[in-house]
Amino acid sequence: MDRSTLLVYATAATIVGVTLVSGPAVGLVDLTSPRFDTSGLGQGTVTVDRVEPPDRIVLGGSFQSESYRLQVPDTSVTLSDIEGKPILTYWVEIDALGYNRVSTYFLDESNEGARTLSVDSATLGGDDVTEDRYNATLSLVVRANGNETTVYRSTVPVEVTS
Amino acid sequence: MSVGLDSAGRLLGPTRRQVETVRRVALRALVGDRLGLVLWLGTVVFLSLYFRVGFFITDNHTLANTIIALADGSLSFERATFGSLESPGTHLVDGKFYGRNYGQIAFAVPFLWGLRGLATVADPGVAFASIWSLLVLALGIQVGRLRNRPALGATVGSAAALACFAANVAVAAPIQERLFPIFALQLSAMVATAFVGTTLYRLVARLHGRRIGAAAGVAVVVATPIGFWGSVPKRHVYVAALVLGVAYALYRSRGPVTDGALSATGFRAVAYALVGLLTWIHAGEGFVVFLALVAVDFPTAPSNDPRTLAVVGAAFALSMLPFFATNVLISGDPVTPPRSFVGYGDPESAPGFGGGSEGSGSGSGGTSGSGGGSGSIPLIGPVVAFASALVAEALWLSSVLLSPLVEGVSVFSDDPGRLYRIFVRGGYLSSVAAEDSNQAVYMTVAESAPLAGGLVASVGAVVLAAGGSVDRLRRSDRPFDALVGRLEDLRTTPVVAADAFAVLAALGFLLIYSKRLPLHATVTVRYLLVVFPLAVYGIARTPPLRRAVTTHRRLAAWSYAGGVLVGAQLFFTVVALRSFGRGEAFQLHALVGLAAATLFALFAVASVLDDRADRATAVTGGLAAALGTDFLLLSGLVYYQYGSYALPLSDALARLLGGV
Repeated sequence: MDRSTLLVYATAATIVGVTLVSGPAVGLVDLTSPRFDTSGLGQGTVTVDRVEPPDRIVLGGSFQSESYRLQVPDTSVTLSDIEGKPILTYWVEIDALGYNRVSTYFLDESNEGARTLSVDSATLGGDDVTEDRYNATLSLVVRANGNETTVYRSTVPVEVTS
Repeated sequence: MSVGLDSAGRLLGPTRRQVETVRRVALRALVGDRLGLVLWLGTVVFLSLYFRVGFFITDNHTLANTIIALADGSLSFERATFGSLESPGTHLVDGKFYGRNYGQIAFAVPFLWGLRGLATVADPGVAFASIWSLLVLALGIQVGRLRNRPALGATVGSAAALACFAANVAVAAPIQERLFPIFALQLSAMVATAFVGTTLYRLVARLHGRRIGAAAGVAVVVATPIGFWGSVPKRHVYVAALVLGVAYALYRSRGPVTDGALSATGFRAVAYALVGLLTWIHAGEGFVVFLALVAVDFPTAPSNDPRTLAVVGAAFALSMLPFFATNVLISGDPVTPPRSFVGYGDPESAPGFGGGSEGSGSGSGGTSGSGGGSGSIPLIGPVVAFASALVAEALWLSSVLLSPLVEGVSVFSDDPGRLYRIFVRGGYLSSVAAEDSNQAVYMTVAESAPLAGGLVASVGAVVLAAGGSVDRLRRSDRPFDALVGRLEDLRTTPVVAADAFAVLAALGFLLIYSKRLPLHATVTVRYLLVVFPLAVYGIARTPPLRRAVTTHRRLAAWSYAGGVLVGAQLFFTVVALRSFGRGEAFQLHALVGLAAATLFALFAVASVLDDRADRATAVTGGLAAALGTDFLLLSGLVYYQYGSYALPLSDALARLLGGV
């Protein structure tokens, strides 16, 4: 058996071997770590110290489309005294457009300090946008130990540009 | 042959030889030759790069619920494990819920069993990466053997496989077992897609050599939306693979000297059998392909003697059995497929052709069809049932199946702009975008596969050739006899049969979907997905285009490589910098793609007239193909991140890139 053939067998054996050894039948090692460890989620505390929402939100025309793009600039917050794994949700709502977005953050001690919160941008139908200005409500809700506490709420103007 | 009981050595001998024979026959039957195998492996390796485990489109819920039932030996289900019982394509018959596309689901069931079995010995989050790495290894070995450098191929393949495996394992995450049903469906779609590439390769290689064949086989996967739907379990890639299989078998049944295991009649039977299987996936599309096949096959067959027809008919009848059996079990009527039931749930799942995402187009035809069949039949004797089934079939065929073809013609003649919005420029179509979350995510044939622009030159070449023929006929002394002679020549030329079938099948699909297109949730006009491989076939059949890429091979390859390496990054940068949404990003691809398609079309037509344009044709052709690849990569890794990636490394990359 020449060297390259040996190499092929060795490679295949390694790949199959590692796979089997980490599998449930043998279970010597666990090679997969969940992207999120959900144990104890929603239990704990957090203090939201400083919140800096964007000055305004722009609802602008979009490239090659008769629809509007809503892009919400990030909100900066400072988090402290995190214990356990509380959940922070960040809401952006524009009632007049029937629009709302939420981002959920699973916190742990490593998240203390300055953080930016964001929501995904959205596309709104051209016919739905009839005014020049709207109001958006930004709110921060902490979910921990079975309670939901709104820790921040403010109104930010939405300017329509085309 | 009796495998000996005497000694281990003797037992090994014949067994090994038998295994080798089986391997060789399977290779030959499935992918043709070693180059076909390389294309098959390459396609699977490539599609895996952006394989997302999850639901891309709502009716995938229906298919996933159905495969769970089918894997347990039942056609129906009582609850929706995924989505809701109102997902498009779910039908309520006699208190039981049924899915659709049973042929496709039956093909995927072994994949589900395989996944479940694999999960008992391997961590699913690692297993896909390890199988993929082994495929990379196999690809290296096969490429090495193909290029007569087996040692090099084995070494490079081993190194690459080990590196890929290690990198993937380093970032591996678990895959939930509850996703296995959709995962299995997706895997089967990927395998079907690999057969799209290899079958096109085999057909074109028979006609124009392996090099052109391989180029066509690669192009159809990496440069057209075939790659977009490659791991999405809609019916389209399976249908595309089967239609190409029919074209290939049809050609071989006319072939000069059949060197294969099958006779000419055998290949003819295979062509019909594949149509039967296609019918099991989607009855309407199966019928269109059947019409195209019959229209070409009968006039051009070397002989239609009773014995041949008996063989062909028997093969066809046999292949229709699963379709009939499924229908009998569901409705009691062999010819009423699940899709023709009066829609259950929302009006979007109305019966008839298509994905069931729009009802108005074909409601009338579908309802009248099912009215003819189901209901009272189980009460009558079997003979009467069979007779009335035949009558019902005739009614069903005429009302449901033929009328859309006829209507298609009038739809396009009343509104030619529709063709423009299907083939050339879509843009923001408010009726379509309204159903696509206001995003302009609809792309036409040319926008999603700029390579298709080359078809303009194919048409040009045909017109030119026809003009030449007419000239010659005019100059001949007895024009009528000359014409008859010429037609007889065409009729008996094997490739003409394949060409005619390709054109008729593409036209058939276009006509039956005329009323519904352009439509939301089709992204790349997926109803016409089969048109893309047929377009690549048409381009490969065009002599000036073959000449251009053969003479300027390197130029075309470099132009493609540049278009992918630089182009993909440019697209990503523009989309990120201008924080484009999905619809905007799609329109960017659409406009650039359309520009490339136009340039390629112009130079390709010039190449038909004069070979001095070949250089520019090769460059623009490479670019046009590259733009198709750019769209696949960016949509796969950035625009649509609808599930976690099967390859952990791709998941890490997609996270890094972020979505839109």
